[in-house]
Amino acid sequence: MSQVQTSVATQAILDEVKPAVLPRPVLVENNRSHAWITDKVCGVIEGKTPLWWWICFAVASAVASCSVIGFAYLVSTGVGVWGHANPVNWAWDIINFVFWVGIAHAGTLISAILCLARQNWRTSINRTAEAMTIFSVACAGLFPALHVGRVWLAVLPGYLFPAPNANGIWPNFRSALEWDVFAVSTYGSVSVLFWYVGLIPDLGTLRDRFFKRGDKIRSAIYGFFAMGWRGSNRHWVNHEMAYLLLAGISTLMVVSVCTIVSFDFATSLIPGWHTTIFPPYFVSGAIYSGFAMVLTLLLPMRAIFKFEDLITAYHIDCLCKITLVMGTLVGYAYLMEFVIAWYGANPNEGFTFVNRTFGLYSWAYWIMFTCNVVTPQFLWFKKVRANFAWVFILTIFINIGMWFERFVIIVTSLARDFLPSSWGYYSPSIVEILTFFGTFGVFSVLFLLFIRLLPIIPMAEVKSVTPQADVHGKHS
Amino acid sequence: MSTHAAPAPTVLPAAIPAAPAPAPQANAGKALGIGLAGLALTALGLLVPGNASAVAVAWLVGVVFWTAVAIGMLMLVMIHHLTDAGWSVVLRRQFEHGISGFKWLLLLFIPLLVASWLGAGDIVWPWGNLNHVMHGGHTVGHDPLYEKKSALLNLRTFSIVSVAVFAFWIWISARLRKASFAQDLDGDAKWSAMNHGTSASGITLTALTLTAGALCWIMSLEYHWGSTIYGMWFFSDCIRGALSVGLLVQLWLYNRGDLKGILNKKHLHSIGMFMHAFTAFWAYVAFCQYLLIWSADIPEETFWYNLRELNHDGSTNQWWYVGLGLVFFNFLVPFLLLLSYKHKITPAKVAPIAAWILGTVVLDLVYNIVPVLKDAHGDPQPFLSLNLVWIVTAVIGVGGVFAWSYLKSFASTKLIPIRDPRIVECITYHE
Repeated sequence: MSQVQTSVATQAILDEVKPAVLPRPVLVENNRSHAWITDKVCGVIEGKTPLWWWICFAVASAVASCSVIGFAYLVSTGVGVWGHANPVNWAWDIINFVFWVGIAHAGTLISAILCLARQNWRTSINRTAEAMTIFSVACAGLFPALHVGRVWLAVLPGYLFPAPNANGIWPNFRSALEWDVFAVSTYGSVSVLFWYVGLIPDLGTLRDRFFKRGDKIRSAIYGFFAMGWRGSNRHWVNHEMAYLLLAGISTLMVVSVCTIVSFDFATSLIPGWHTTIFPPYFVSGAIYSGFAMVLTLLLPMRAIFKFEDLITAYHIDCLCKITLVMGTLVGYAYLMEFVIAWYGANPNEGFTFVNRTFGLYSWAYWIMFTCNVVTPQFLWFKKVRANFAWVFILTIFINIGMWFERFVIIVTSLARDFLPSSWGYYSPSIVEILTFFGTFGVFSVLFLLFIRLLPIIPMAEVKSVTPQADVHGKHS
Repeated sequence: MSTHAAPAPTVLPAAIPAAPAPAPQANAGKALGIGLAGLALTALGLLVPGNASAVAVAWLVGVVFWTAVAIGMLMLVMIHHLTDAGWSVVLRRQFEHGISGFKWLLLLFIPLLVASWLGAGDIVWPWGNLNHVMHGGHTVGHDPLYEKKSALLNLRTFSIVSVAVFAFWIWISARLRKASFAQDLDGDAKWSAMNHGTSASGITLTALTLTAGALCWIMSLEYHWGSTIYGMWFFSDCIRGALSVGLLVQLWLYNRGDLKGILNKKHLHSIGMFMHAFTAFWAYVAFCQYLLIWSADIPEETFWYNLRELNHDGSTNQWWYVGLGLVFFNFLVPFLLLLSYKHKITPAKVAPIAAWILGTVVLDLVYNIVPVLKDAHGDPQPFLSLNLVWIVTAVIGVGGVFAWSYLKSFASTKLIPIRDPRIVECITYHE
């Protein structure tokens, strides 16, 4: 079979056939030069720290302190400070864990799966999405680590880590909770590595620019992390290969982590949890919430730094469409759960779903349904996708809805278990609420530091999709 | 779908304007002949006493397999339009011919409905006859589980759902084909926009209708059992079947010379990557379903797998080996082979892999459908039996009709969508 064959047939042939004309959107607007891209992205780091950043940082730190105080109180007092009680012995700790893990999935999906699928539009947004992934995993990891109450036990053998405890008892390797320890820690490690490998060329650029400006300290720091990057052909070949391999590994991680998180529930016998669609349902839900959060973060960032030429309307449109697809998939999963709950004719299963919809927690169910199923339907309309204020508002609703999804799954099934005499109503304690609220501060603090210290748009990758970088010389 | 392609070059490959004469349709008659012969041979099985259900179930396997291929093609056409893909324009044209087969598949499905209506009702689906005796001695009509599902599982609703899903697929396929073929004539970009819009709404409805088809036609064969992931399982088979058929057709056309200068190794590589990804997806779905049911160990769920493992006396039956074979042959073998770049781009290697996948997709459907045929003890009839003959003839028979429909459509339009806005990207598709 031939490789690509471009014959010498003339333009006249093209004129004769006259294919329909439908230009593709450009990925960098206004035909910006490579130098402009470098100046624009590095300018965020090189410039003076703006006042808004300090204000946001102070507010985020204050919010984060809620988590610090909440966790300190938990550790010094015990898990009784949370609102857990029979029959709801699992609530905001696992809800918040799943919520943050879900958000963590969009970054790797954008960087890895879209990379393998050669979707070039991902280049402007993947750095931010990857950063979001890492910070979300950090927030997620707080909950399982701290929910043991005596936090030092979490890192001692026999609790989370696979080694026998003082009584010679090993963790249960058949428990999906133990699989979580492996899955999430591996996912976090691979995500950091993937992020870092992508950063290396840009760190080299920053090193050189600070050196030219005479800022030797920052040049040395960036130079240390750039690991001697010189941009040679050999460096690029190795870099591309490492990036591709990590993309392949990360793709598996994206799917496996949320699958294993879904196993936390689906391997049990609890009605509403034990259902075979949970693995793909959790994966699509995670991507859904992650994309919503990417949009929530990108839209203000784009406006503040005037990145309109780099994060174009086309990028936002693509993100909105994937959000719509994932929201629809989540809606499909909700539908299948109800269909099979009816079809299965199991009274416990049927009761669970009727209870979710019309029981004591129906308010939570309808918030979830409205935010997750109704909200994304607005994204069918191009006018909505092009109105970034609307998109921002919709993504906030989706974020809320996805948190409620985990609340509905976990709390409604436990609050009405097999034994009616033990039924109860769970309400979170103020400690739980503040601890969760504080994780948004933790996330924001990390994200603000990222904005100030690292290039938020991967310059090298964006340059590679500009017309100037086209080997066919099609730049104007 | 990925849209990695070179920007429009100033020249087109010489093959475009020539748009080779659609000679392949000369084989249409041959395909129809093979199809009718296969169907006639399957029908001959009715002459064997007590064999009616086996023939009907084999017929169901044949129709469901080719319907799955057509659904996969329909989904891929819509995904192509929604992602504004460039590389797959030529492949899309083959799928557009393939989806012309829905009306004939409906026609071939109708005998199953007619047989159910005119006969006792349980020729395929046990719930079709309220007097059907279940394992344990009670009848369907006295089964409390059936009573709760009877709103769906009755012949009238079942027939309406079956015809409705086919009607939808016929309608949306016709709409997509019409716009695409019209663009060949006038080169108007509005047809691309129209197909984009049709696909946006169509893909959601196709997902729902294929799920309805999977639940009614396959899952309800053991109506005590249900699995929420079942629609996704069927979807994975649909896409794998469509990709494999699409690849084989493309190579056939290339070897005839029709796609010379149009199809290149990068196209094969991309199709191979999709085959690889969906092989993994099938394994993911099948494994999740198995693991979660095994882990919970609830008898009302595990019986579906137990039927495919053990006889009533505890001995291992042949379906156990079929299930095990699926793990190796439907997942491991194609997955490992498709890891290789060379295997994906070499026609002599990727074609057998595609044919292999088609075979194992049939096996997967057989594993899900055929154990409905029970012996006197309530055990599934053995895999290696006369039933296999009817299955093979039915798959070939329906396949012949499907191929005939494809070739008829092939003759009605251009070889490739010559005026598609992405045609140049497709033909110059490269690393």
